[in-house]
Order: sequence, then C-alpha cells, then structure tokens
Amino acid sequence: MAPSEPRTKYLDPAVVAKLGTLELKARAIVEGFLSGLHRSPFKGFSVEFAEYREYFPGDDLSTLDWKVYGKTDRYFVKKYEEETNLDCHILVDVSASMGYGSSGITKLQYGSYLAAALSYLMNRQRDAVGLITFDDRIQHMLPARARPGHLTSILVTLERIKLGTRTDVAKPLRDLAEAIRKRGLVVLISDLLDDTDRVLDGLKHFHHRGTEVIVFHVLDPAELDFPFNKAARFRDMETQEEVLAIPDAVREPYLQAVGELISHYKRELRMAGIDYTLLNTSVPLETALMSYLFTRKKSF
Amino acid sequence: MFGLSFLYPLFLAGALAAAIPIVLHLFRRRTEAVVDFPAVRLMQKAPVEQQRRRRIRELILLALRVTALALLAFAFARPYLRSSVAAMTSPIAIVALDTSMSMSAPGTFDAAKQAARRAVTDTPPAALVGLVTFADAATLVVPPTTDRGGVIAAIDASRPGAGGTRYRTALSRAAEAVGASAGRIVVVTDLQQAGWETADEGAVPDGVTVDVVPIRPPESNVAVTAVRREGQAVVAAVHNFSARPARVPVRLKVDGRDLTTDRVEIAPQSAAEVRLVAALPPRGGVEVSVDDAAGYQADNARYLVLDPATAVPVIVLTAESPGSSRTGIYVERALGVANEGAGYQVRAVDGRQFSAMSAQELDSPAALVILGTRTLDRKGRETVASYLQNGGRALVALGPDIDYDTLSATLGVDLGIERDSKSDAGGTVTLVAVDVRHPIFRPFSSPTGALGDVYVEQYRRLKDQKERTVLARFSGGPPALTEQIVNRGRLLVFTSDLDNQWNRFPLNPAFVPFAVESVKYLTQGREQRQVWTLPNVPPGVVALPGLYSLPPATSGAPERRVAINVDIRESNPAATTVEEFSAGITRLSQSAEVRAASEAKEQEERQRLWQLGLLIVLGVLASEGLIGRRAI
Repeated sequence: MAPSEPRTKYLDPAVVAKLGTLELKARAIVEGFLSGLHRSPFKGFSVEFAEYREYFPGDDLSTLDWKVYGKTDRYFVKKYEEETNLDCHILVDVSASMGYGSSGITKLQYGSYLAAALSYLMNRQRDAVGLITFDDRIQHMLPARARPGHLTSILVTLERIKLGTRTDVAKPLRDLAEAIRKRGLVVLISDLLDDTDRVLDGLKHFHHRGTEVIVFHVLDPAELDFPFNKAARFRDMETQEEVLAIPDAVREPYLQAVGELISHYKRELRMAGIDYTLLNTSVPLETALMSYLFTRKKSF
Repeated sequence: MFGLSFLYPLFLAGALAAAIPIVLHLFRRRTEAVVDFPAVRLMQKAPVEQQRRRRIRELILLALRVTALALLAFAFARPYLRSSVAAMTSPIAIVALDTSMSMSAPGTFDAAKQAARRAVTDTPPAALVGLVTFADAATLVVPPTTDRGGVIAAIDASRPGAGGTRYRTALSRAAEAVGASAGRIVVVTDLQQAGWETADEGAVPDGVTVDVVPIRPPESNVAVTAVRREGQAVVAAVHNFSARPARVPVRLKVDGRDLTTDRVEIAPQSAAEVRLVAALPPRGGVEVSVDDAAGYQADNARYLVLDPATAVPVIVLTAESPGSSRTGIYVERALGVANEGAGYQVRAVDGRQFSAMSAQELDSPAALVILGTRTLDRKGRETVASYLQNGGRALVALGPDIDYDTLSATLGVDLGIERDSKSDAGGTVTLVAVDVRHPIFRPFSSPTGALGDVYVEQYRRLKDQKERTVLARFSGGPPALTEQIVNRGRLLVFTSDLDNQWNRFPLNPAFVPFAVESVKYLTQGREQRQVWTLPNVPPGVVALPGLYSLPPATSGAPERRVAINVDIRESNPAATTVEEFSAGITRLSQSAEVRAASEAKEQEERQRLWQLGLLIVLGVLASEGLIGRRAI
C-alpha cells in the first residue's frame, strides 16, 4: 500500500479484488475503514475495547495494567476476555446463487471479502471469531476462537471456499443454534434466495436465545435493477430451471417481487430486533462494516 | 390392415412430409441466449413461460403438425374399409321381367311370371336375387336380396302395361343392379323384335352372363293402328299381325256410345282401312276398337278427339296484301304442314291490316313472323314493339320488304345491321347450325349441323352484339339466324328473306322443317296437343291408352280432351331368337382388375372417409393455431 494513497479506497470492492491474498484484502479493508473513521464525525467510536476495573486485593498482579497506572497513578486490572469479548460467528452462504456477478465481482467474492474484513476486525478487538460456510448443508465450520492463529485459519478457509449447490439457510442456523452455549453475535452473509419463512424462523430463534444477529443481504446490481434487454432463456443457477422471457415484459413484475422480498425481510427482521443491511456488490464495504460496529456497540 | 384400403395409395407417400416438423424440431437451433440468473424464482410472478411447460407445448404442436400432414396424405389417398359382409362379394342374379304391351296377350304374362319364379328359385342359395321390370323404361323393383320370398311376391304383383319394349334399357338397368359383383341376368321376355329397334342405349359388362327365357308370343294379333276423321266418317286402319287372314268387327264409339260397327277382312300380315260413317258430333272422344281376344289387348282400341284443334295462332306480317301477292305463302304453307295441318292457325296480314287489328286479336298470336314492314304505319310499329316488349315472340326475315329506317322503332331494339350491308353472296352457300343441339336444329339430326345448300343472292350483315346469340351461319361465317331477348320477348332474326326473293331457301327441302321448328321454338309451351303416343303423356295423365280430360289452360275455358294411344310398333309380335337376342347385347369389356377397381370405387364413394379425414385435419390445424398463438 502506497502511503500516499488514501486507505479508504480499499473499501471499494473492485479495488480490493485486485489485492493479493485475502489477508491482505481484509487488512486493507479494515485499515481503510478505520482510517476513515478517524476522519469522520464518529469520533465517539473506539475500537479499542480495552476493559479495566479497579484493583482489588487478591487480584493477580500480572493482570495489572502498568500503562494505565502510569497515566493515572491508580491500579487497574484488565478484564478477562471472557468478561468483555464476544463469540462472533460468521455464516457465509456459498450456494450456487452466490456465484453470480454482473459487475466483475461475484456475490460470493464480495461476501468473502466482507467475512474476512469482519474476522480481521473482530480478531483485532480480541473477539472470538468463528466461520461457517454452507449451502444446503454446512460445508466448513471453524469454532469461535480469539487466538491470533485462528484468524489465519479463517482467512485460509475463506480463500479456498468453492461454490456449492442449493441454498438452505435454515439448516446451518439450526445447527449453530444448538451449538452455541454463550451469548454472542451471529453475522449472516447471504443473498437470502431461499424460503423466507424458514430463514426468518431460523434467525428469530437465535435472537430468542439472546444472541445478536446481523444479516447482510448481498445482492448483485443486476438482481436489483434487471438491466436485460433481449429476450433470453433465464436459467436458475441452483435449480437449472429455464424460463423464456422478454425483459421489457417481465421487468416491472420482477422488480416488484424483489422489492417485496427486501421489504419483507427488512420488516420482519427489524420487528424481531435483528439488524438487516442490504448490500449491493457494487458499493464499498464501508456500509457493512459500519453496520457491524453499530450492532457491536449496541450490544455491549 | 383391418380391411383398410386406399383408392390412390401413391398419395400416402405424401405422409413423408410429416417428417419435416420432426426434423425441424430435432435440429432447430434455439436462437435465444441463455442467461444464468440467480433470482429466476422471483421472475415466476411475471408472465414468463416455464421451460417444462414450453417443452410440453412444443411437443403438442409437433404432434399436431405431424398428425395434420399425415392425415392430409391419408385423405388424398382416399381410404375405404373393405366390406367384410358376405353380401358384397356374393354373386347377384337379376330377373328382368318384360311387362310391355306385347306380354298382355292371354296367358303370356302368366307364363312369364312362372318362368320368373323359376329363375328365382333356381338361383344358388349363396346368390342375391333382384327383380327388374321393363317396358319403355326399366325399374329395379327389388334390389338384390337374400329374401327370395319378397322377390317372388313382387313378381306375382307385376302386371303388363301398355308400353313398348326397350331391351337395351332393361339390360343396362339390370347390369347396374349387378354392379361390380359377379352376376347373372335372366331376361324373361317374348323376344319381340321391336325391342331392339328403338333408339335406346345400354350395355352389359363382360363378367355378367345374360340368360334368356323366351315366352311364346301369341300366334296372332289384330290392332287398330290409326284413326282419323274425314268429315262425318272416322277412318280406321286395322293391322293383322298373323299368318292367317282375319275377319274382325270394328266398332265406333263416341263418348262411350256405340255409333256403328263394321266388319273388315284383312289378309295375313296386312292392314286394311275401314270407313265408319256416323253422325259425328262436333266435339267428343272417339274410340275405334276390334275384338281380338287372342292377341294384345291394349292395341285393340285407338282413340281420337273430335274437339276442334286449338291450333297455335301465328300472324305472318307481310308488306303486301297476301291476297294480291304471293308474299308470305312459303311460310304459311310450311306452317300448315305441322301436326297434319292442325298445329298452327296461320293468318297472313299486311301492315295496314295489322294496324287495324283489334287489341283482342293482337293479344292472341303465339308468334309473329315478320316478312315485311314497308306498309306498317306508326301505330303498327308501336304495336309490334309493344308485343315484343310484353313477352311476344317473333321471327323477322331481313328481306327486301323490311323498312330498315324504321326497323329499330318497329322491334324496339337496334339489330345492329351494318349500313348498306346488303351483301351479295351471289352463289350457293351452306346454311350451318352453330349448335346442333339447339331445339330448332335438333330434329335435323345432322351431325355437321348442315341444313343444306341454299342459293343466296343477298343477305344483311349484322354487327357483333354481345346480347345476341348466333344460331346458324352461312358458310363463310356471316350470321344467318340469330336469337336475342327484347325486354320480355324473344326475337329470331334471319338475315335474308323467307319469300324466295333474295334466296332459294323456300325451295330447299330443309325450309319446311326449319320454318316449323323455328315457329315451334318460339311458341313452345303454347301448343295444345290432342293426341299422344305412349310413353309420352301430358302431365297428370296415367300412361295408359284412353281418353282423358285435362283442366283448361285459362279460367272460363272448357276442359281439354286428349287421346292416349299405344305405340304401334309394340303391336307386331314378330320375335327374334335367343341367339339373335344374345348377339344384340352390347358388351362392355371389363377386366377383373377394372371390376375390382370399380367395386373399390363404389365402396369408397359410399363411405367417403376422406371427408372425415379432412374434417379432422381442419380440427387439428385449428388446435395448432390456438396453441401456437400463446404469447411468451
């Protein structure tokens, strides 16, 4: 990264795509984001979630934070990670529909960049991060850990993910819900092209158990605008079903259907207290990261 | 397959065209691009066509198109179901029973019926039997059937009539009943020679055998062959058709009352006239009869009507007074020949006399023959024009006595005579009918239509007019006789004269029949015949000899009496032999293949499966159109 270049440019997915490894991408994204944060009016934010308490006799002297003593002449000890940090579980949809991309980057690439950046950010905040990739079943599962080496595992896993088959969001949500013992944060990165009722039931189930949930609804610009002009046979990427359509004739009803889908998710999830963010793969990842921070801050 | 055959199987090759839609379906490249899209499920709320549904629709369309093409070839091949009914392939025997007048001699028809019954019972049980009775016409009384009792009952119910004998007609009808099956005709007849002498037609196919069962004719027959009135006497001709002299009483009745009887002796195979003098009334029906118990009964009497003949009135218009010149005489004499002088009531008048005729007199003529108009005044011209316009019929001869300056006004139509077109033929030309089937020329029976050579000095040339029909021409081409409609009237135009002035036609043997047939053509429907010969009878009269009354033509007029007489040719019992009879049969050579083809064609004509096929094709194409119209 050239020092003179603004780091915020690395929030542009197109730019990120040209970077080398996913680790590099994640770092670039996060640092770009943080750089932007410092110059933003959101100075109240701090990612340094160092938590302290006063020293009580009997505390382990090795936990005293001497830097704070130097500044304050008071004795403070760091809180244990278990007391301050979350278990974050990032769920990435790798079904076939995520392989679509009309503007040079697929939804899966965008989702993996986002997942990597979130993992990086979470790890930096000493939160435990876990990763689950899924289509109609769980493909990979990395438990939530805070060790520095665990991030590498996550990034490597994200780097190597392959497109799956059909989507079934409800199944991994159900499996994960059974596994979680500790309250935490679940981040779902998916295009949500699945049975809406099953998706909503799965997500609400988490929320009922005290786990915060963030849903990043990733869609391609073509899915949002339907820019096609010529009659064509549209083939579903998961079911291979074909329909013959004249775009001018179907655009309006399709856009209406997409709008209804988004509105439905937005309404139902927000009613359930679940954060919902619609992500267009052509727009920078800043929005996603900001949304994460808001939720993270709100929770704790 | 299942008895299905085709009249024209080569058309089935057209069913190969049904492969075209299949080939197109299999090798057609889809031109639409394929776009992988993740949110296809959201498109299903839009009016798109599912691929599966589209494939099903395409398969249905393919099936319909293939079916339509195949059915079309099928229909053109003219399918039919070969009948498996044994009756269609069973042999057929037709009994042709002679019911003409010559079978009416005592005992003759009983013998004929017995022979006919025997012919039925002798027919093998597997064969179908039918019955045809014949005289002047042949009637299929019982179609081929296994019900022999029904055929015998029909034979028993048959009676001889008064008609003549026509063998060719009988054989043709019987052969038609046999059809294409193997068949046999059994003719039960007295082998009367006159049966071959009539101008009828008919033939028997090769595969049909004809057996003749001869019925012995009577040894003698005496017939009244002619009657006529001569003043207060009726003259009758009596013919003795036997080998022995005959002496028979001849009786005269008028309106059923015996007036007189006379005896006549007639030499063998000869005729004699007997004059029966009596106080004949001015009107009445005459019957002249002989006693001939042994011979044919229907010709024992002949009938005559005494009522004044209602000849058809015809006016011949001349330029000069008929009494003072010979104008009109040829036409008058020619028309006087028709129907032995009783056909037409001809009145020749000049222009002045014509103009002076009363309205009633002018109402009556059935035809007007215009030979000269030079003496017609304005009133006369208007009368002629009015006569034609109101439905009158006229024959005009464009001779020297016609005033051409006023002719158009006289006729009420411009004939299109070329100005100063008095052409000089100056020689012998042939009068040729354009269409020999025209009623005027039909009786001439000339295959070439030539009416004879006529010396023509001059004639008028006519311009072509599309509303005019040329009926005859002079050799060389110019019209000789034309016909055209003038309002409601009908006009014949002869382009020369008929008075022996510009040509010698009146001296030609064809002139009389030409004049008579021309006037007969103009007056058809207006004549009132009194004497008819079987099988011709007036409408509403049974075909039996005798005197009949017909309703009057106009209200207030008296009833019209007519006499119906037998054809005297049927009175001669002279017979041929069986060999001569068989030799006289006209044969239609038909090979077995042709017969089979004929049978197949008959079956196909009956079933008409091709119509059903075309109907189904229409339905299939309509369905294809409806399904294919679905918008995507």
